[in-house]
Amino acid sequence: MHKRLMSLAGLAAIAFIAHAVEGRADTISYADAVTALAKECGADIKKHCKGVNLSGGRIQSCLEQNAAKVAPTCTSTLASVTTSIRQRQAAQLAYSQVCKHDMAQYCNGVVGDGNILACLIETSRVDGRRCDQAITDAGWR
Amino acid sequence: MFVTRIRTLAMVGLMIAPGYASAQQINHNQLMGTLGRLEQGAPAVDVALLAEELAANAGKGVANLPNWQNLSRLSQLVVEIDFENDSVAIEPGPYRTIGMIADALHHPNLARYKFLVVGHTSSTGDAMHNLKLSQQRADAITDALSTTFAVAPDRLYPIGVGKEWPIDAGHPAAADNRRVQLINLGLLR
Repeated sequence: MHKRLMSLAGLAAIAFIAHAVEGRADTISYADAVTALAKECGADIKKHCKGVNLSGGRIQSCLEQNAAKVAPTCTSTLASVTTSIRQRQAAQLAYSQVCKHDMAQYCNGVVGDGNILACLIETSRVDGRRCDQAITDAGWR
Repeated sequence: MFVTRIRTLAMVGLMIAPGYASAQQINHNQLMGTLGRLEQGAPAVDVALLAEELAANAGKGVANLPNWQNLSRLSQLVVEIDFENDSVAIEPGPYRTIGMIADALHHPNLARYKFLVVGHTSSTGDAMHNLKLSQQRADAITDALSTTFAVAPDRLYPIGVGKEWPIDAGHPAAADNRRVQLINLGLLR
């Protein structure tokens, strides 16, 4: 019983670490995400999704509908690509909120989104670490 | 045809850049630099007027029309995006190009700008068919950018010019004219 509890605790710890790592995992660019999709699913898309476009989740639905015929590597890539794109979008949306304080403190008076970002990157030694991480996750370094 | 190579041509200010032959694989920074350069006194472009001029001149070309001439003074980029034959479905090969454009459009340096997405064809085939297909393809790219990559749709203006505005005016039948052009129209209002 004791042993079992220990292993449960171990599993929980692993799950916790995995979750923490997942939360901090580097996001990847949209370009890299869809490059993986083209590489692993290109043949299946051409074979099973002729005439289907990369918009409105259509490629995803098509590959899911044909899951039985689609290469397993494509199915797993599709899942990770979808997650990657979502993570990058979330990171980009989070940026202005997470960095709000740093913008006010270090870049007050700087005009223009691009200039504000450049200012934040320049002052990153004093920036809050969360803002720093948000810029990295958004892919704007 | 499944083309994995991504040939890209960056141009600023000129429709026909002398460096066209050295079309190259472009990276994120080049893309940002090319699309983000905003010249002083860049003309304001009315997309509705472009469409009007185009509709009134199908078959005759638009390069010398006043509103189309203005476009040549704006920051722009020409990319190759292959579609399935006579279809609006983008081949998997150029997904990367679309993704790179999305990365650039989401960057704070470009986030406030709106863009014209111009679909081109070569001079092969019927003018009206080319016009229609290029519009549908420009729409398809805009659709991919605004759904899969969450670029705000009010920043993108798709327009198909068919063979009316050849990229390589000296060789309108060349495959190099089957391109998509992104033009920075300036700040969102």
